[in-house]
Amino acid sequence: MPHHARFWPTAAALAITLAAPAFAAPAPVTLGAILPLTGPGAVIGTEQMKGIQFAIRQQNAKGGVDGHQIKVVFEDDQAKPDAAVLEFNKLVGLQHVPMIFTAYSGPSLAMAPLATRKHVLMLNAGAQADALGKASPYMFNTLPTTADEVSGMVRYLRAHGKSTAAVLYENDAAGIGGRDDFVREFKAAGGKILAQEPSQFGQTDFRAALLKLAAAKPQVLFVITTAGLKPLADQLHQMKASWLVAGTTFMEDPPTIADPNSAGIIHTQVVADASPALMAAFKKEMGADMGFFSRQYYNATQIMFTLIGYLEQHHQPITGTNLRTALLHIKTFHGLVPMTFTSNTAVVPIDIKEMMGGSEKTIAVATAH
Amino acid sequence: MLLLQLLANGIVTGSALGIVAVSFALIYSTTRVFHVAHAGVFTLGGYLAWSLVRAGVPDLLALAGAMAGCVVLGAAIQRFLYAPLERRGAAQLVVLIASLGTLAVIQNLLAAVYSPDILQFPSAWAGHVFGLGGLRLTGAQLATVGVDFAAFGWVMWFAHGTLLGKRIRAVAANPFLAEITRLEPRRVHVLVMAIASALVCLPGVLGPLDYGLQPYGGVTPLLTATIAMIAGGIGSLAGAFFLAIAIVVLQNLSLLVMPGEWSIGVTFAIFIVFMLFRPRGLFASG
Amino acid sequence: MDYLYSYLILSEIYVLLGLSTNLLVGVVGIFSVSQAAVFGVGAYIVGDFLLSGTLSFLPAVAVAAVACIALNVLITLPSLRVAGDYFVVTSFGIQLLATATFTNWTWGTGGANGMPGVPPPDLFGMQISSTRGILAVSTVAAALGCLAFWLILRAPFGRLLKAIREDELAVAAAGKGVLRAKVSAAALAGAFAGVAGGVYATYLSFIDPTSFDLDASILLLTMVVVGGARTLWGSVLGPFLLLALPQLLTLIAIPTTYAATMQQLVYGALLIAFALFRPQGLLGERL
Repeated sequence: MPHHARFWPTAAALAITLAAPAFAAPAPVTLGAILPLTGPGAVIGTEQMKGIQFAIRQQNAKGGVDGHQIKVVFEDDQAKPDAAVLEFNKLVGLQHVPMIFTAYSGPSLAMAPLATRKHVLMLNAGAQADALGKASPYMFNTLPTTADEVSGMVRYLRAHGKSTAAVLYENDAAGIGGRDDFVREFKAAGGKILAQEPSQFGQTDFRAALLKLAAAKPQVLFVITTAGLKPLADQLHQMKASWLVAGTTFMEDPPTIADPNSAGIIHTQVVADASPALMAAFKKEMGADMGFFSRQYYNATQIMFTLIGYLEQHHQPITGTNLRTALLHIKTFHGLVPMTFTSNTAVVPIDIKEMMGGSEKTIAVATAH
Repeated sequence: MLLLQLLANGIVTGSALGIVAVSFALIYSTTRVFHVAHAGVFTLGGYLAWSLVRAGVPDLLALAGAMAGCVVLGAAIQRFLYAPLERRGAAQLVVLIASLGTLAVIQNLLAAVYSPDILQFPSAWAGHVFGLGGLRLTGAQLATVGVDFAAFGWVMWFAHGTLLGKRIRAVAANPFLAEITRLEPRRVHVLVMAIASALVCLPGVLGPLDYGLQPYGGVTPLLTATIAMIAGGIGSLAGAFFLAIAIVVLQNLSLLVMPGEWSIGVTFAIFIVFMLFRPRGLFASG
Repeated sequence: MDYLYSYLILSEIYVLLGLSTNLLVGVVGIFSVSQAAVFGVGAYIVGDFLLSGTLSFLPAVAVAAVACIALNVLITLPSLRVAGDYFVVTSFGIQLLATATFTNWTWGTGGANGMPGVPPPDLFGMQISSTRGILAVSTVAAALGCLAFWLILRAPFGRLLKAIREDELAVAAAGKGVLRAKVSAAALAGAFAGVAGGVYATYLSFIDPTSFDLDASILLLTMVVVGGARTLWGSVLGPFLLLALPQLLTLIAIPTTYAATMQQLVYGALLIAFALFRPQGLLGERL
């Protein structure tokens, strides 16, 4: 048994800890996070950071994981791949972190070969590009790919007699991937795509594109953009077009849902419900609403607590390789979002929701098969 | 109808960009500084107005307060940054770098204070939709087009009909002569920066009133505005204003004939070709 | 150790780009804000060739260098017709057009999704996948670039370039080939950027339009201004310093939530301070 050798010293350390907790607290565990914290991507990056910070504060206040305080070192990559590679080497080389939270497809894909070489676990809870699923054995994604979400939405649309659609997509990895998925699935299901128009990331005036799309008179407008959703809802309302507006999880944006002009918009929703108590605690602690990405990274951080706890109980050192093995062994996690890893991308329940001009209700279930 | 609505939206957004271009042209033609930090002044205006409205100040007073803030910032940039650089005979590249640095400071200060999230004005009238014979425009859009055209009219009157305006144009036309004829170009420069900063605050507030505020949102409008200024011919304020409108209208209408992902690229391609064949602009004065 | 290596590799790639920018902006006085676009073309060409397996590393870099020479000459041509700030805006336009092309020409660049899986460089049939090996490649490339730059500044050609910047009319009147000198300088600057692109693509293995955008071009200008225009040592120091800056700034204790914005803020303040108090940069000549 390879663990035997480690058992006695650990038990002894435990005994000392119990006897004199003030003198010998277990060493803190340091993790890394590489997120866009400045520049246009910072809107989402800071939301993600707050989710991690909140989870860490809660856990550490409860005494950490098996007595270990958890620390996360945040680095800013401005959503740029070269900065991400530099920060990766910094976190792994200087801080010796066994895992890194990442976001955004570009930086994640640039770091993937390094993760494989250095045996560092990467947990992405924000990007949904298809390529991420097979980027590295060490890269795990807690969000389903856009293709999974889109196929659920297409089934719903076709079942409700919608046969023509137009697409408004963000002109970047997330948006283009989603557009391609939708166009492919909708055509395969016998539907017809009448028009598609891009928007730039961070753009908030969509009127010209919307007017052009509306002129094609589609029954459905499929929207895949990550930012500027409230102005989009307002501008859609201004046009009074007769189409059904459908989107993905990106639509889950508290200010947009609270906007009366968003009534009638439907979207797939990766289930990530937080209790009102948790939402309130978050708002109090972090001074912001617990948005979708905060909940996702809160959940991803909980997964890390589970993995670290598991390794502690089995007296294994907290390394990237061990964390990965533990993740594949545990497979199913019951954090904020129940999820199962049968591959590097989690299987997560997906709902279809409708905005009611202030709140949302679930109208169908669209989990991928 | 589609054509008409695209045209109307283009004129609304274009008039806002036109004021950015006019104010930039005013600065550039007098001080010869490529004032990139103007994008920061533009953004600051929106955030100041947002804070004031949130604090319960009536919308019009908030606009006035934001303009005052922009005036202070613009004059300070001239007085404490560009003027010392000019005295030391700094090269254009150095002044541009200083301006880029100022822009970075303003943007990130706003991002730190207000968060990078897109902020919305709470003013209900801004989102109210008015139907004008088939056209549908929001309150904010109507305010944008009205205020910006009025501001343009005021600038034209000021530049050509007032003594101060003539003095500014004299300094712009020949700084050396202005120096020896006691027109005091340094003070005129501060004044021009103050006026231009107040002007750029108008679209800086009215645009975000329509579609939200972002700390890094000022760069693209400024870049398009500088293109309008150069294509219009430096020194021609009317050229800058109307070309800004023309560019945005064309970008909007171009959607009718090509996919939108190329519209920005095509705008700049046309501009580059244009620079090769008519580098002094369409309405250059002299 | 890999952290240090990756810092050195990226710095050396930026040294090549700094030389390229310095040659145009500092030495000839062509105010270009689109060097990142040329850099990107080099990166995509090498990426495409290596991914398709049609060429190995060195020939691919050679093709990229030739293409970037042609491109850089082409885009600096407007500077012969329009001067100063007019060219700045034209150059801005070229940069934005390039970004639009990188983002939308999916067939050649992978579009906004980027180009993943570019193989590591290979020399004489051997793949160089270790960070140390790539460091050797980038060091050789940067050293060759520095040598070329140094030789040119000392040669009669360098003095001609200097004279053009100081008084173009006088040089033209003296019967010297102003056009030829400017075009040659632009060509050399293009070659530097092309080679830098090739090393960059093979080191990162993933490239996308965000590495070659307006921000990157402005970063290059900043490197030249901070390091020092017109000198070899200025072009070398600038990249090393500016890539180290974010790392140094993390040593200042700021609450995590604001750290990143504060770093960018300090960065802006540094630019202002340099412009005001040391416009010649650390190791440069007065602009």
